[in-house]
This record gives sequence, C-alpha cells and structure tokens, in this order.
Amino acid sequence: MNWSKLNRALHRDIGYLCCGLTLIYAISGVAVNHVDSWNPSYRLTRITSNIGSLTQLPRQEHVPLILERVGEARTLKNVFPSAPEELTLFVEGNTIKVDLVTGETVQDRYVPRRFLYELNFLHLNHPKKLWTWCADIYAVGLAVLALTGLFVLRGRLGLVGRGGVLTAIGAAIPLFFLWLYL
Amino acid sequence: MRVLCLAVMLFAVSLVNASAGVEGSYGHGVTLPEVTPVSAIFDAPQNYVGKRVLIEGMIVDVCTSRGCWIFISGDRPYEKIRVKVTDGEIVFPVAAQGHLAQVEGIVQELRRSKQDVINWKRHLAEERGEEFDPSTVTGPEVTYRLRGLGAVIR
Repeated sequence: MNWSKLNRALHRDIGYLCCGLTLIYAISGVAVNHVDSWNPSYRLTRITSNIGSLTQLPRQEHVPLILERVGEARTLKNVFPSAPEELTLFVEGNTIKVDLVTGETVQDRYVPRRFLYELNFLHLNHPKKLWTWCADIYAVGLAVLALTGLFVLRGRLGLVGRGGVLTAIGAAIPLFFLWLYL
Repeated sequence: MRVLCLAVMLFAVSLVNASAGVEGSYGHGVTLPEVTPVSAIFDAPQNYVGKRVLIEGMIVDVCTSRGCWIFISGDRPYEKIRVKVTDGEIVFPVAAQGHLAQVEGIVQELRRSKQDVINWKRHLAEERGEEFDPSTVTGPEVTYRLRGLGAVIR
C-alpha cells in the first residue's frame, strides 16, 4: 500500500468512526451555544397559583397539604424553609415555593429534553471517568481526519489548488474573529 | 455489518435511556477534609475571604440558564450562600435542586454600588422571568460568595 492509499484509508475509516460522535458534538454544540435564550437540557415551565393560607395549620401538616393542593404525587426530595413564612419543596421534576401566609405558590417544573439531555450530558463531560478518554481519543481522531483530508485529492483540486484556497479560508475565519474580538 | 448496526442501535438506545441522575463529582471534586459551616463564613467573613473552604448543605437554587451558580443552604435557618462557577467549566443541572452537596471553593467578597446592585438584581430577575422593582434596592451592598472549584452532589 502506497502513502496515498494509506492516507485515504485512514481518512475514510476514522471518518466512519468519528461520525456518531461528531453528530453528538455538533447537535449539542448548537444547543449549548444558545443558553442565553433557552435551557438546552431541560424544558422549564412556571405555574403560579394560590393554595390558600396555611398559617392556621400545624407545621407538620404543611408539606403533605401543599403537595395535595398542587396535585403533586412525585417523590419528595427535600424541604427548605427559605424564609420564616416561606417553604420550598423539592420534588422530582418540580420545585414548589409557597408563601405560607398568602398561599401564593410558584411551581418551577423541569423535564429533561429527550435526546438533547443525553447529548449535552456527554458533550459537557458530566460522566467524566472513561468518557474523558473517549472524548480525548475522538479529538485526536478529528485532528487526524483534518490532516489526512488535506491530502485525499492531488493536483488541481488538491492542496495546491482549490483545496488550498478552501483550507486558507477555513483557517482565516478564526483568525478574523480573534482580530475582531480579542 | 450486522454487528456494527447492532452496536449503533445499542448506543442510541443507551443514550435515550441514560439516567437523568445528577449525583457525582463536578469540576475538581472536593479535596479538603474539614467542612466549614456557612454560618462561620457569614459571622466572620474577613477570616475567610481569599481562603479555600469546603461547605456542605442542600442545593436550594440553581441557575436555570447556564447552570453557573447554585445556592447552598447554611446550618442556620433561612441562611444560604451563593456558589459561582466559571461558565461552562462546571454546569450544575437544574435537577440538582433539593440534593445534598459538598462544595469547595474560594470565599469572595463582592462590593457593589447601588447601580451595580440594581443591574445585578435585574439580571437575576430576567433569568427567572420575574419582574424587578429597582426601588427595592436601597443602597450599596457587600455580599459573600464562593468561587466554586469543585463539588460532590449526593
């Protein structure tokens, strides 16, 4: 096998191997780029209501009564008295803040975005451990893919012709933004 | 080829079924052996400003847009301290609310002018989709927070 064939074979096979991970990083990359406009991992909903004053009732009855009045049956994780007359209940998928005097209740419900949650989980390296190595190997794979890609074609369409111009444009884009913003 | 297809399918299924668990180590994790009570930081902040401490408590609030800060409850009623992390370096999931956590970081003192306090509180209100009344700010504020370096959520 000559050098050119080896280069093409490497480019092809690493390309196949990197395809899945590239899609994960690409989709999640766009999603997390826009965190100012949305939460890329969770769908958030706020519900306000009034469940009536609870001050006349004994404190131990507050939590079950709040859960009943807002119709929340999911597992209660914890309770935090956030102020003398305010209680915050943490339920799986819901945070319920209640003004015990007025009964004003704010529920912040969250549901992981199906598929995007998992993609972001990997992209933001929450698993750590073995995944860190996997992501490092993938990054090296991308570098090899980029370098071998430069030499797939020869001649007019290759690095000395059209390919060279496109490579120069690609390299100029980040340089332009560094000049613009740095 | 069949084995490859099976592997891809298994990977896709495992992604869809991945646990939404939030427990685990974030950032550099925790290294200090001793926990500093949040009340001790608030009672004598000058003893801690610039120092690395480990605190523990319940995560009672999370930044819903970037996951770049959390509030940890203190050991006294109604007390809580903000932990700010570098955007993107650590991303706290919304579902971490209500979980117990140990957080390690550097205690910081923030001195804000009245206008800075207004801007800051307006920003927080916008993040939460809440209304903000600038007249509730009466003057400059000094606050203490942790520059979070690592955390373990249980």
